[in-house]
Amino acid sequence: MDFAIDAASAHRLAAFDKLGCEQMRPLGLEADRLGRPIPPDHPYFQTLIGMGFGRTRWRPDRGEQEGSADAHDKVGNSRATLLLSEQLSYWDRGVAVSAPGPGLGEGAIISMGTEDQKQRYLTPFINPDKPRWGAFAMTEPGAGSDVAAIQTRAIRDGEDWVLIGNKSFSGNSSRADFILVWATVDPSLGRAGHRAFVVEHGMPGLQDFHIERKMGLKAYESTSFRLEECRVPGANLLGGEGHYERRAGFKGAMNTFNSTRPMVAAMAVGIGRAALDEAIAFARAQDMTDDPRIRDRLERVARKLRAARLLSLKAAWLADHRRANIVEASMAKALAPTAAFEAASLGMELLGVVGARGDHLIEKLFRDVKAMDIVEGTGQIQRVIMARKLVGLPHG
Amino acid sequence: MFDLSQQEELVLLQDQVRQFGAAVLRERHREFEAAGAVADEARAEYAALGLAGLELPEALDGAGLGAVARVLVLEELGAADPGAALALDALGPALYPLAELGGEAALTRYALPLLGDPEARALLVWGDSERPGRQRRLIEGGRATGTLPWVPAARADLLVVLDAQGAAVIDSGFRLTPLKGSGLRAAGAAELVLDNAPLSMHWRDPAGAARALARWRLSVAALLTGLMRTAAETSREYALQRVAFGKPIAHHQALAFLIADMHSAVDASRILVQEAAWRADAGLPFADAAATAFVEAAEAGMFVTPNALQIFGGQGFMQDLPLEKYLREARTLALMAGGIDLARDLAGAAVADSADGFALSPILAEEP
Repeated sequence: MDFAIDAASAHRLAAFDKLGCEQMRPLGLEADRLGRPIPPDHPYFQTLIGMGFGRTRWRPDRGEQEGSADAHDKVGNSRATLLLSEQLSYWDRGVAVSAPGPGLGEGAIISMGTEDQKQRYLTPFINPDKPRWGAFAMTEPGAGSDVAAIQTRAIRDGEDWVLIGNKSFSGNSSRADFILVWATVDPSLGRAGHRAFVVEHGMPGLQDFHIERKMGLKAYESTSFRLEECRVPGANLLGGEGHYERRAGFKGAMNTFNSTRPMVAAMAVGIGRAALDEAIAFARAQDMTDDPRIRDRLERVARKLRAARLLSLKAAWLADHRRANIVEASMAKALAPTAAFEAASLGMELLGVVGARGDHLIEKLFRDVKAMDIVEGTGQIQRVIMARKLVGLPHG
Repeated sequence: MFDLSQQEELVLLQDQVRQFGAAVLRERHREFEAAGAVADEARAEYAALGLAGLELPEALDGAGLGAVARVLVLEELGAADPGAALALDALGPALYPLAELGGEAALTRYALPLLGDPEARALLVWGDSERPGRQRRLIEGGRATGTLPWVPAARADLLVVLDAQGAAVIDSGFRLTPLKGSGLRAAGAAELVLDNAPLSMHWRDPAGAARALARWRLSVAALLTGLMRTAAETSREYALQRVAFGKPIAHHQALAFLIADMHSAVDASRILVQEAAWRADAGLPFADAAATAFVEAAEAGMFVTPNALQIFGGQGFMQDLPLEKYLREARTLALMAGGIDLARDLAGAAVADSADGFALSPILAEEP
C-alpha cells in the first residue's frame, strides 16, 4: 500500500501551477466576463502546443504510447494523469477543457478504430503543427442520460452513409478537425443499432453550429449542430462493419465513459479545492475562522474532497491494473461533484452578499461546478450503474 | 506512486482474521453480548492467530507491523463483532500511549506481562473533557480522580489515562462497577471511578499524546468500517430476496440508490482510514488524517447502520436479527477515543489554520 506520489509527478504538477496561476485562471475569468469561449487562434493554445500538450497518446507502431507528452497521458499511468486533471481544474476547468487535442473520441478511435482510421485521424495529433481539436458527439436534445435513445439516423447509401439529426453539448466541436458522431441505423434496436462515424470538418451537411450560453465553464465551447443529410464515406464508419457485427455499438461508447469517470471526478475535486482555498482565504481576511460553526463546515468540505480524491485515485489504480472498476469509477464520479458543490456553496455563504455581486472567483466556481454532476453521466446515472453491479438493478 | 496492492503477508493475515471472524465471532456474537464476555474457546482461537504482538517492535518479540496491518485486522474483526474485538486484545489501544510516550521501557514494564496472561486486560480511557469549556480532567496534581460513566470493560488489570497533555498508567485505586451497556457489550461494560488513585507512571508529552490519540482514533475507525461493511452487505443481500410490489425491494430505485450510497460510504471510510494508517507507517504527520478518518467513519456509521436496519423494516427492529445490534454498536464506537467533536476540532484546525493557506495539498505526500 502506497499513497505517495512519485517525485517526477510531483515536479510536473508543480510546473503546471505556473501555467495555471499565470494563464489559466486569468483566461477563465476573462472568458467568464466576456461570456464567450477562448477563440481558437488565441496565443494560449499555441503556448500549450509548445509545451507538448495537444498530442495523442497513440503511436503508429505500438498502439498506445507510454509517456507521450500529452495532457491526457503525460506521465504514463492514469493516476498521474488524474492528479494532473485535478490540478488543471483547480486553476480553471473551463480553460482545461478548451485545450487542443484529439478529445473524448480518442479512446474510442484507439479501441474501436481500424488501423487506417487511427492513421488518418490521430497522426495529425502526434506532433501537431498548430492547435488542433477532435470532438465527440453523443448527446442529443432528446437523449442525454438515456444514451440508447439517440435519434440521429445513419442511412446506408451505396458506399456512403447519410447522417440526419441534431447533436448538443459537444465540446470544442465547431473548431474540431473531426467529430466522432454516434448515430443509429434503427432507433427501435436501441444500443444494438448504434454506429460511430468520424465526421470531418467541412463535410457537406455538417452545419448550423451554435455555441450554447452556459451558467459557467464559459472558456470552452459547448456546441450544438445539425447533420442535414450529411454524407460520410463508408471508410469513416468507426471500426468498419465488422466491428458492429462482433459486438453492440453501445458497449464501445460505454467503455469510453468508463475510463473517464475517475478523471471527471478528479476535475470536480480540483474545482472544489479551489473554492475551499478561496473560502479559507476570505474567512481569514475577515477574521471568521475562529467561529466553530465555520470551522466545522470547512472541515466537512475538506474531508469530503479528500475522500473523493482518494476514491478517484483508487478507481484509476484499478484501471491501471486492468481490474474491474465500474463500481469504483461511478462512486468517485457520484461523490466528487457533490463534495465540490458543497465547497463552492459554503464559499458563497462565507462571502455573504459579497458573493451576490457576481464578480468574485468563488461565485464563478459556484456556477462552474454544477456541471460536474451532469457531464459523463449524472450522479443519478452513476447510482444506476453502481446498483446494476451491486444488486443487479434491471436495465430500463 | 499511489498503489493499493498489499504485501502478501498482509493479505494472508487479513484472510485468516476474516475466517476467524466469520467462523468464531459472528456465529456466537449474541452469546458474547449476553455474557458481556467472549467465551474461552474463542479467546483461545484468537490467541492462536498470534495478533497480540502485531505492532510491538521486533526487539520485544513483536511482529513489528504497523498501522496498516492493524487497520486491516481491525476492519475484519469489526466486520464480525467489534465488542469482541475490544475484549480479545489484551492491550488494545492502551498500547499506543505506552509506545508513543513511554517507549520500549514502558512496553517492557507494562505491556509484556499482560501478553502472557490470557485473562489480562488493559483499558485506555480519555482523561480530558470532550467538550471545550467543561472542566473534567482525571489527572490533576499527580493523582487521578473522577468518574467515567462508561468504559468498554468489566475488569481491568491496567488503566492508561490519555489526555491532551500526556498519559498516565494506573494500576490501583480505581473501581469498575458493572453496567449493562448499550453497544459493544461483548467487551464488558462498567462505570469507572478513580478516587485519588496514584499514578504508576506519568508522561507529559503533548505531541506523543496526540500521536497516541490518532492511533486510537484509527483503530476505532477501522472497527467502524468493518461493522458498517457487514451492515451494508447484510442489507444488500436481504434487499435482493425480499419482494414487495412485485419485485425485489433492491430493484426499487429509492433503495437501489440508497444501497449504492451505503456501499460508497463504507469505501470512503476505508480509504481515509488506510491513507492515515499509511501516513503513520511512512513516518509522515498523520494526526489530522486520522481525525478526518474518524469523523468520516463515525458519520458514515450513523448513515449506514440505521439504513441497513431500515431496509429490513420491522424485522430490523427485532433482536432476532443483528441489525439493531449493528446500529447500537456503531453509535457507541463513535463515542470512543474522545468522541467525534474532539476529532472534528483537530481536523477543522488543520483546514482553517493551515499554515500555507492551502486546505488540501495538491499532492498526497512527498515520497518519504
